Amino acid sequence: MSYKIAVIGFGLTGRLAALELSMLHQVTVFEAGDEQALDSAGRVAAAMLAPLAESVLCEQDLALMGLDSIARWPAILAQLDDEVFFQQQGTLVVAHQQDKGDLQSFAQRLKPLLGHQAHSLTSTHINELEPELSGRFNQGLYLPCEGQIDNQAFYQASYKTLQARGVSFEFGKTIDINSESIQGAFDYIIDCRGLGAKSVSCKLRGVRGEVARLYAPEVKLTRPIRLMHPRYPIYIAPKPKHEYVIGATEIESQDNGPATVRSTLELLSAAYTVHSGFAEARLLNIQTGLRPAFSDNRPQVSKQGKVISINGLYRHGYLLAPSLVADAVAKIE
Amino acid sequence: MKDCIDDSFNIYGEQINSRLLIGSALYPSPAIMAESIEASGSQIVTVSLRRQQSAAAGDDFWQLIKDTGLKILPNTAGCHSVKEAVTLAQMCREVFATDWIKLELIGDEYNLQPDPFALLEATKILLAEGFKVLPYCTDDLVLCQRLAQAGCEVLMPWGAPIGTGKGLLNQYNLKTIRERLPELTLIVDAGLGLPSHACQALEMGYDAVLLNSAIAGAGCPVTMSCAFKAAVEAGRFGYLAKAMPEKEVAAPSTPTMGMPFWHQNKI
Repeated sequence: MSYKIAVIGFGLTGRLAALELSMLHQVTVFEAGDEQALDSAGRVAAAMLAPLAESVLCEQDLALMGLDSIARWPAILAQLDDEVFFQQQGTLVVAHQQDKGDLQSFAQRLKPLLGHQAHSLTSTHINELEPELSGRFNQGLYLPCEGQIDNQAFYQASYKTLQARGVSFEFGKTIDINSESIQGAFDYIIDCRGLGAKSVSCKLRGVRGEVARLYAPEVKLTRPIRLMHPRYPIYIAPKPKHEYVIGATEIESQDNGPATVRSTLELLSAAYTVHSGFAEARLLNIQTGLRPAFSDNRPQVSKQGKVISINGLYRHGYLLAPSLVADAVAKIE
Repeated sequence: MKDCIDDSFNIYGEQINSRLLIGSALYPSPAIMAESIEASGSQIVTVSLRRQQSAAAGDDFWQLIKDTGLKILPNTAGCHSVKEAVTLAQMCREVFATDWIKLELIGDEYNLQPDPFALLEATKILLAEGFKVLPYCTDDLVLCQRLAQAGCEVLMPWGAPIGTGKGLLNQYNLKTIRERLPELTLIVDAGLGLPSHACQALEMGYDAVLLNSAIAGAGCPVTMSCAFKAAVEAGRFGYLAKAMPEKEVAAPSTPTMGMPFWHQNKI
């Protein structure tokens, strides 16, 4: 049966929900911003798919959900008209000699995930995986199941595909989900507003993150690198066309203003210690996003009447969204 | 035993019963933070304002801390100059409506060692402005004496650099500070990793310990919080009970008289 469905919010979860639902149903997307959804956390993110590394901080069920989501990404991207870069060649975790304690403590806190485990690396192994890091690090970990996608390309391609499918878009509109005009016009309403839903879900909070995007033709890293550091743990995600995303700060603040000098220095100097080729890289932008999170930092999918809500993805948007959207869609009878 | 039960210490005249002060950073989630803080039995929680940009921006997170109902001790973590620390202390006073301030002034970026010179200068400024200053300092006796002369009633020397979990690196220095400044409230702040480290500090006569990473960075923060709660109680009772003197020669606790002679040689 085909329904009339409203998707509210055109960030990562809104896009995934619209892609999934528009195959069967008549979908209208409402977004407070424009088609780029500039305020959405998923646009700023590095789009790492790192269930094993994130298991250090999140509960095991979420890490397992991350594994499930990674398996769903190729099929999601295959339905898009344009190609979107997706990679699953693992992550390399390194630390400088003086910070090896942080690497050890990270290794100890990894949770077992269905037989996926980290491999300890010597300098020879690091040299084989990422030759440009040779000589700089003599110890590390390899997390083989992990990957990443190009989120900017995904944002563009998903919009294009949805347009081609005849999905309607209402940009620049902040709407009241409970109003008669919405409730009366649609069979189901999928609330994907993230922090935009703060007015109705007061338990949501924003966690500020700052991310730098560099153009670095001198750097040839092939997979995401995580640097363990007592204060500036960063990751470097290589994207197509010599672009690198360096992330991310994590600050308990709702401030969505431009990145601070301190955060910029931390991110870029930490990246420079991983590879000196970043010195001559072009700084394309430094963006700030607010991750929507509940107090337990766990996502929630809920249904109340016609409204199905997906929210609180915190720092795990790309890692968890495909599974959560599948859960949400399954609530449509 | 009554003394043990009524036992409390004071921070600028305020009676405090729990000898564990707890931090609010680095937990896996705010929910786990709230649970850990509750399990610790702490009455005082420290909070940092440095990176929130504005008072309104940090509201949601601070509300979670205010919801714990604990007394809030704001800190100046992340400040490198006297001016920064003084300005931040003033902002903290407004946001949290308290004149308590844990004064933290970083001298070395890598191990976050406090800058003793800037610390003393900022302490004097803030005391003159009516703040109740709890300076986070190194375990240097002369620095502690100068801070006390400036008017501090509470000092917080480190056990080890922040976040290292190494415990009490220089017990001689810490003991000397305790002996020489008997009137002051002394709290070991930073560097603890194990419950036994906290226990040692209390056994030594320190009034309390302040810690964050040891709990927040543990595999199970809530359980570790319970462990530290028990450790400070054990350490305090151990101090109050006055330990037996250490001896070089073994003194059997069971009299050997009456024991069969073929067993006596085995003791």
